[in-house]
Amino acid sequence: MEIHTALSKQPAVLLACSTLSTDTNMTGTWRFVRPFHDEKTAPCGAACPAGEDIARIQMLTGRGAFRDAVETILLENPFPATCGRVCFQFCEGACNRASFDDPVGIRYVERFLGDMALAEGWARVPLKEPETPRKAAVIGAGPAGLSAAYFLGLLGWSCEVFEAAREPGGLMRWGIPAYRLSKDVLQREVARILRLGIVIKYGRTVRPQDLARIREEYDAVFVGCGLSRSIRLQIPGEDLALEGLDFLGRIRRGEVDAVSGTAAVIGGGNTAMDVARSLVRLGAEPIIVYRRRREDMPAFEHEIIMALEEGVRLMELVSPLKANRDGEDIILTLQEMRPAGVGPDGRARVAPDGERRQSLRVRSLFTALGSSAAPEWAPPAEQSQQLLRLGHITIRNGPAPLVFGGDLTNETQSVTDAVASGKMAALALDTCLEEGWERIIQSLGRARVGPGPALSMESYLGGARADRNRTVVSFEQLNMDYFQPLQRILPTIQSPEERRAGFSEIEGVYKKEEARAEATRCFNCGICNECDNCRIFCPEVAVEAGSGRRILLDYCKGCGICVVECPRNALSLEEEAS
Amino acid sequence: MRPLQVPEEEYLRRGHVGCAGCGAVIAMRFALKALGPDTVVVIPACCWGVIAGAYPQSSLDVPILHAAFATAGATASGVRAALDMRGEPDTTVMAWAGDGGTFDIGLQSLSGAVERDEDILYVCYDNEAYMNTGVQRSSSTPYGTRTTTTPREGWKRTRKKNIMETLAAHRIAYAATASIAYPEDMIRKFRKARDLKGHARFLHVFASCPTGWGVPSELTVKLARLAVRTNVFPLYEVENGVSYTLNTEGDLPVRAYLSPQGRFRHLSPEDIQDIQRMVDEDWRLLRAKAQGPPQRARLMA
Ligand SMILES: Cc1ncc(C[n+]2csc(CCOP(=O)(O)OP(=O)(O)O)c2C)c(N)n1
Ligand code: SF4
Ligand SMILES: [Mg+2]
Repeated sequence: MEIHTALSKQPAVLLACSTLSTDTNMTGTWRFVRPFHDEKTAPCGAACPAGEDIARIQMLTGRGAFRDAVETILLENPFPATCGRVCFQFCEGACNRASFDDPVGIRYVERFLGDMALAEGWARVPLKEPETPRKAAVIGAGPAGLSAAYFLGLLGWSCEVFEAAREPGGLMRWGIPAYRLSKDVLQREVARILRLGIVIKYGRTVRPQDLARIREEYDAVFVGCGLSRSIRLQIPGEDLALEGLDFLGRIRRGEVDAVSGTAAVIGGGNTAMDVARSLVRLGAEPIIVYRRRREDMPAFEHEIIMALEEGVRLMELVSPLKANRDGEDIILTLQEMRPAGVGPDGRARVAPDGERRQSLRVRSLFTALGSSAAPEWAPPAEQSQQLLRLGHITIRNGPAPLVFGGDLTNETQSVTDAVASGKMAALALDTCLEEGWERIIQSLGRARVGPGPALSMESYLGGARADRNRTVVSFEQLNMDYFQPLQRILPTIQSPEERRAGFSEIEGVYKKEEARAEATRCFNCGICNECDNCRIFCPEVAVEAGSGRRILLDYCKGCGICVVECPRNALSLEEEAS
Repeated sequence: MRPLQVPEEEYLRRGHVGCAGCGAVIAMRFALKALGPDTVVVIPACCWGVIAGAYPQSSLDVPILHAAFATAGATASGVRAALDMRGEPDTTVMAWAGDGGTFDIGLQSLSGAVERDEDILYVCYDNEAYMNTGVQRSSSTPYGTRTTTTPREGWKRTRKKNIMETLAAHRIAYAATASIAYPEDMIRKFRKARDLKGHARFLHVFASCPTGWGVPSELTVKLARLAVRTNVFPLYEVENGVSYTLNTEGDLPVRAYLSPQGRFRHLSPEDIQDIQRMVDEDWRLLRAKAQGPPQRARLMA
């Protein structure tokens, strides 16, 4: 009774009531493994000869941050609109998404961004200024020479480019058919390069003997004059054939209106495809004559498929023996071949199939067997302390270092490899003049993308990418719980009938929404896209958002949930030093 | 991938003493993000009784009332009455109990509160044993589990009690399962429950326990997801005890869920087949009650 009265008089029940928070408990001391944000290398970027930060480009594009995406590309490649059309997309071959559904349409996205950059007039300005002004001479305004000039320009150099022709672009202008790359796009990309203050001197053929004088006038010289010597068949009657690249150049100069009748194109590379596909458009009926089988062709499968769709015919396992004129026609005598195992280089070998012959009557004959360097421009072959062979370039030391690059030194002849060569040259020359000859290898090592050989300008300049872990993220290291299958978006593409009708560009370009949607298919392998899974699932509230994500080690107990729930392997765990 | 949308507000404090990788902590974190600050939490004896902080500390930014083991339902009812008397009817009263405190010792108290249709939200965070006292089996412990009271060859050979059906049998206004691996779904259900004012509501939250289950702490969320993807812990809602909605449908065999866990390591392939059959049977029964097709479990992002 008494208690009852007391309680009713004093309704407040006496309970222990906490007044402090647990914030003062430093639970980080429990930890024996430590998670950390550890951005790694995406396979696409490592496979891109130009070392583009593809995972990041996709991330930015997916967010609609198109300008940032363009600037990210332009740091590593001056030709996104061009490469977005003609690149052989090694990136897509390496894309982790291929193990899930289909690779990301990286080239299509690049084309979209490249075109947008041209439409908007977006460009990069020089990123640094050397203490002493530097001036380079560049021989050849092809993709390698223009890239070398561009990257040197970004590094604050001034450059003069000597070009024998009256227009820039080299093989991009004369060797790639207009249905793959229009003249307009190329011209505008070159114009953007020139905005860095680069000057092209047209109609200026440089001979090897001019080099000594040029080296006196400039701080460095880049030779990117390409392969001017086409490989010959060496059969009787070869003079009846037109050389494929010459022919493509004549078409692009507007010197060829039409070709009629059957045309044989000898070769199995991408140039053979370009020639055959151009012939279709000019009204001829081309047959590709190749000594091995289709699967052995060095041409990219995509190019072969497109050619066949357009009506190009293919003769496999035949090797030309001679060509004879017969009135208006040419009779090509062919030796039948048979597969004969695999050569030491891993390529299929063929051997003559006894005496079996065929003859082929055609109206015109083309060869597309590749080219080699003119002997006077062959890169130096000697071994010397003052000479470095670095994959995409060969560089010789001297008061004005001399670089041979582009197709002269590249193993793969592509526009993107030419960009790689120009970039390597620029970084090597800049290092050589700023830090000294003996620092080149180390400096290029710092700029490496993943395990190499691609190089990054951003890393060279010490940007955030330089700190990225060079380990390439594999599909197994991603967390697929957060992704669902999504169809790859394709741009419009002309039907084979439309394609046969002329030289207009075959592929359409993504609309904005399509580019964003395709870019969001990207897993963003290895890079933080601020999805915040680490922050959301942390039981300790120990992940902080800011610019990037930060782990509060005072509280993190090292459970590792953030590492596992990161969809893209942008975190790692390491043992805590005891 | 669409990033998960989870409210920024934080009511869980750093420095709590939950084990590394504790699923029950993640559960509370999401629960309060959904409910907001106008919430009183009632916690009976359980791990969370400890995680909530030893006097004079608290790990939550909302009031907590610690209660005796068996009394979550009753205590929450009392807090409700007190708040109503003080003219604070809008405050959410959340009972937050473990599986031992819900399936076993607290069942009568819960049953009473639900039968009275008290205006409370009762949450069972389920780690499938008495974890705070050292992994003793509860009636929530699933078939096949080794615990300290079902050790070695004496592993548990009875099935997990179906608590959701128990609640459905009370014709409770709203009951739902939720998982820490599916925060958006979980937060939606907590908000739905909060907004169903005036009635008793029940949420059954799957909360993996790396310490008690013998799994590496980094797999906490992954395992919770696997439980859903194998139909071991389907996500669904029941309104008024009769209207069922399935939120997910698994796409993996139970092996994927069982094999990473120490507590199931002893199971033979035949045992795992038995468990698969039980899971399939439960799933069929549940499917039969639900209207409309479920969504697929993995498609959350
Ligand atoms: C009446 C009573 N019996 C036993 C205990 C000891 N005890 C405290 S917590 C706990 C286990 C609780 O298990 P569960 O409810 O599943 O929560 P968990 O610890 O697993 O989170 C026990 C047995 C107690 N506090 N009160
Ligand atoms: S998913 Fe994206 S980041 Fe990953 S490899 Fe493909 S393009 Fe690169
Ligand atoms: Mg428990």
